[in-house]
Amino acid sequence: MLRRRVLGMLAATSALAGPASAQTDDWSKVVEAAKKEGKLVIYTASIGSPFHKTVIKAFEQKYGIPVEMLEARASEVRERVRVEQAAGRFLGDIHHNGSTTTWLMNRDGNFQPHGPIPNIKNIVPPYEADDIRVPAEVISYCLMVNRNLVKPGDEPKSWKDILDPKWTGKILSDDYRALGGGAVFFVVTYDTFGKEFHEKLAAQKPVFSRDLANSERRVARGEFPLYLPFSLQNYNNLKGLPVKPIVPTEGRPYVRFDLTMMKGAPHPNAARLFMNHYLEPDSQLVFANAGYAPVVKGVVEKTLPEIRDLLATKALGTTTPDRQDAMLELAKQIYK
Amino acid sequence: MGSAALEERSDRVTAAANFTGRVAASLGGLRRYGRPAGITALILVLSFLSLYPMLMLLYGSLHSTPPGIAGEFNLNGYISIATTENLVVLANTVGISLVKTVLALALAVLLAWIVARTDTPGRGVLEVLITLPFFIPPILTATAWAMLGNAQVGTINLVWRWLTGTDSTLIDVYSYGGVIWHMMQYSTPFIFLFVVDAFRAMDPALEESSRMSGATRWQTFWRITLALMLPVTTSAFILSFIRGIESFESAVFFGTPVGIEVLTTTIYHSITQRAQPDYQSATALSFAALALMFLLLVLQSRLLRGRSFTTVTGKGYSPNVTRLGWMRWVTFAVCIVFFALTVALPVGQLLLSSFFKFFGFYEVDMLTFEHYRNVWENSAFWRAFGNTMLLGVTGATATMALGGIVAYITTRTRWRGRRLIDVLAWLPWMMPGMVLGIGFLWGFAILPHAIPIYGTLWALLLAYIALGTPVAVRVTSAAYQQIAADIEECSRVHGAGWWQTLGRILIALAWPAFAVGWVLIFFGIMRELSASILLYAPGTEVLSVVMLKMWVSGKPEEVSVIGLAMLILVLVFRWVQLRFIKRRISTL
Repeated sequence: MLRRRVLGMLAATSALAGPASAQTDDWSKVVEAAKKEGKLVIYTASIGSPFHKTVIKAFEQKYGIPVEMLEARASEVRERVRVEQAAGRFLGDIHHNGSTTTWLMNRDGNFQPHGPIPNIKNIVPPYEADDIRVPAEVISYCLMVNRNLVKPGDEPKSWKDILDPKWTGKILSDDYRALGGGAVFFVVTYDTFGKEFHEKLAAQKPVFSRDLANSERRVARGEFPLYLPFSLQNYNNLKGLPVKPIVPTEGRPYVRFDLTMMKGAPHPNAARLFMNHYLEPDSQLVFANAGYAPVVKGVVEKTLPEIRDLLATKALGTTTPDRQDAMLELAKQIYK
Repeated sequence: MGSAALEERSDRVTAAANFTGRVAASLGGLRRYGRPAGITALILVLSFLSLYPMLMLLYGSLHSTPPGIAGEFNLNGYISIATTENLVVLANTVGISLVKTVLALALAVLLAWIVARTDTPGRGVLEVLITLPFFIPPILTATAWAMLGNAQVGTINLVWRWLTGTDSTLIDVYSYGGVIWHMMQYSTPFIFLFVVDAFRAMDPALEESSRMSGATRWQTFWRITLALMLPVTTSAFILSFIRGIESFESAVFFGTPVGIEVLTTTIYHSITQRAQPDYQSATALSFAALALMFLLLVLQSRLLRGRSFTTVTGKGYSPNVTRLGWMRWVTFAVCIVFFALTVALPVGQLLLSSFFKFFGFYEVDMLTFEHYRNVWENSAFWRAFGNTMLLGVTGATATMALGGIVAYITTRTRWRGRRLIDVLAWLPWMMPGMVLGIGFLWGFAILPHAIPIYGTLWALLLAYIALGTPVAVRVTSAAYQQIAADIEECSRVHGAGWWQTLGRILIALAWPAFAVGWVLIFFGIMRELSASILLYAPGTEVLSVVMLKMWVSGKPEEVSVIGLAMLILVLVFRWVQLRFIKRRISTL
């Protein structure tokens, strides 16, 4: 019975999901149609981000289209979208989430093609858009030290410097065995430095905590001198505290956030308009000044001086969804 | 009078008799069919609230994919949880919960006895102060204790080193002890709230008889007072023990960093920390835990079967207190130390920090009112506050009404179907919140679109009622069990109906318990996050969701401002409630 019902709902889902190609390609008509739709609903895994709100407010002011936001953690957003679509409820227009979750949801058929978006042409490598995904902003991971506990001469310069015995028992870290920044750091440094790097790091006995915001404060208060991987954009919340972000010479692991149009989006033109707005240099500058790497050209140069040098560093690499579970398992074996 | 007139009158009498007979018959019919209809309606309501989401979860545990995705039925979820690793996790969970419940129960019973049955000075104020920790969001007390009790630079350890001149560490909250201590801060006031009114409602003649017969004060406390409190203490113990098994915050804050994993952190890991959320294992693990908890309930029912715990009878009594002499200052000190450790220290830390730019950085140039101003000017906060108040008041009232009826049927009648009702009302308590939240999400989303629940405040309200019903039932049934059947019978003999007796006798006598239950559920709603985050929609945000957003975006200071505001609300609620109780008792 349930199965029949579910299949029925799936059929309804595919019937309701209109192809984005049916949308008009003339941009001024898109703007007009978006205004007529009169609303935009965003589902995002970026919880409580003030930068997100700034960009959304600018969109509302520019186009007069009110935006509603549903914020939850990545897996919660994913499950809500999945079950809503399975039940034939098409409530959201834009989905904003990490590239891994987005990849998995795309595989599950939760999105529809977004159609032509003018600002996509400004996206710079290594980031690229396809007919479903539009890069939004990029989180960069680095090290963070407590300035009161670590003298400038003792600061790690390379990722390998954290293997020095002087850091044994003094590293607070996001967990490499769970989805998130820790897992990204693990994958990228494993690919770059090999298994030996992590075997030695395990011997340093890092302390794991998943409460990221609190972990950074713990380092600021002096519980630990070193934290990794530190999300660069969180530096904004810590200005005034005795901490310092350090991007090691090899570069910074990163993870991309993507925008996608949800299947059966009730306001598809408003969704396209928003994607284009998100890629405007002014919007990207909001993120860049906050510490996110921008995805379009001509923005890094305009960022605040203290952030510019950090963002101008090399993007070391990112994680890929297809091998994520295997890498989490590997991390479990190394860090018991 | 002619024969025609007599005939006419006789017809009228017959007609009147027939009418009365018809009315009596229809009332009899109502009585005959009304009860089964009422029971059926109650079973249907409870089934929708608890069984329906549980069935969705059961489907999830037996199906390779969650509802809405093609897959197959199998037992892989249950097979995958049968590992040595999970056995260790289970032993950890049960061990931690057992230790913290035993300690919290002992402490709560002692505190309740002090407040309700002794002449300890300032009992009225102490009663409010003792319950405060329960109402502070766990995330805030965890933050405060992380600052107070970390091994490296925790305030307590710094003071200890300064006093002793050594480098030793006095306490480390990142340990088993830390997890248990943090959980106890919630369990102790929770159990205290449960048992204090039962202590108060007890006829002291029983204790006096014991003392007159030569028993010592300790013997009386152990054999009379405590024995009579068995239903309420075992109920509180089991509720608290089960809640301990389902507890998440304490373990994730203080256990996970040092490798202490419990059931909920494992479930959390399965759902949120893998590339592909493993709902099958998570739900299977939850059902395995549910089976364990069910055994506990059977045990409690066996323990209480065939025993009478009536203390509130038709005979008048005046609740009086034990005079402790100089010992009352010792009991006073016990309460003050509890308050100082569980409230003054962490709340003091939060209050102090809320006036500084950053938690734990007390420099003059960082003094600010910015956090208060930000919360005050935050429109999302006020919208969530309005929604939460509406849901809190409506939800707590509806839950207590439902719980009161369920408790009456299960404790004071022998109606058919009462056991089923009891089990249905219990179910939501036996499933960890984060899993039950998924059950509600699946259940409500899949409903026909014509039923406007999903994406509305109704979804949150129904989930809150389901989550609160077990507490409402336990609180009221423990109170009902203390009321003698003769009072109820007396009411019936004097012509009162079922509803009148329920309202004017049982609820009137048990209403302090109703008030406590209402407050517990109201603040439970204010704190609930697991289901809220999955069920809220744009425009129906609640306070816990807004607090999570603030926390994740690095604003713990603003979260603490809201936490402090909640504490003030608690103080007002408790003050009003205790004033009413006092007035009520003085008129009994």
